[in-house]
Amino acid sequence: MTERDILLKQLSSYQFLIDDLQLYLDTHPNDEKTIKKMNEYTAKMIPMREKFEKLYGPLTTGEDSKNSWIWVNAPWPWENEEVE
Amino acid sequence: MFVYEKKLQYPVNIKNPNAQLAKLIITQFGGADGELAASLRYLSQRYTMPLPELKATLTDIGTEELGHLEMIGAIVYQLTKGLSEKEIKAAGFDQYFVDHTLGIYPASASGVPFTAAYLQSKGDAITDLHEDMAAEQKARTTYDNILRFADDPDVKDAIRFLRQREVVHYQRFGENLRILTDKLDEKNFYAFNPEFDTKCFKNQLKKDKK
Repeated sequence: MTERDILLKQLSSYQFLIDDLQLYLDTHPNDEKTIKKMNEYTAKMIPMREKFEKLYGPLTTGEDSKNSWIWVNAPWPWENEEVE
Repeated sequence: MFVYEKKLQYPVNIKNPNAQLAKLIITQFGGADGELAASLRYLSQRYTMPLPELKATLTDIGTEELGHLEMIGAIVYQLTKGLSEKEIKAAGFDQYFVDHTLGIYPASASGVPFTAAYLQSKGDAITDLHEDMAAEQKARTTYDNILRFADDPDVKDAIRFLRQREVVHYQRFGENLRILTDKLDEKNFYAFNPEFDTKCFKNQLKKDKK
């Protein structure tokens, strides 16, 4: 695994925790304990995301691209880096 | 609106191409119980849902299914990348190949193109939630069937993740149904359509009596 893969996996793990808790909160919107957890995970995820984007480019469009439109740069999510 | 995230929900890194497996897995892209049908089903049904929890669940699960569609596309793409004509023929992928080359096309494992007839948006929350729970179980069975034939650990890892999500979604839809029926006149849940006949809600019954 490359450094990028490791960071992406870490970020995706936190993002997944958040996605899963989000579905749970949709049917348990008053569960304070889970809301607290959600906020904790989100606070941990944000700096990981910022670090990843700084090193490897934006995850969503419209973010700082300076002189060239780095959004178009590879890899795209369906591309397997080790093989390409 | 929707914002694209330039990453998969769960990583797909397949080292060994295998067109035979791709031919099976494409069914979760465009087959009857696939991710496209799931996504369109939930994102269509959500508009007329009668309660906020139901609107939220259908929006969020429908969105996640789009992420799963992308993962299935990535699996099929990586399983067929760089194959020779000879390998394609040997794997029995030639029938797909003549129509789509190595493009990712929404069709079932047997080649039937995607159709909206795979899904329903009935305008009745009880009916739709039952369909949604069934849809999650049908997708789970399809993933179980794919796992019977998948021997590649890279493929199995991603398919197992997707299979597990079907189980979680089924659970959430079950909770949706309970949230809804808790608010309905328990004498007969099926006498009214909770999206159309608003008088079937408990608080509405009380208001009518006053």
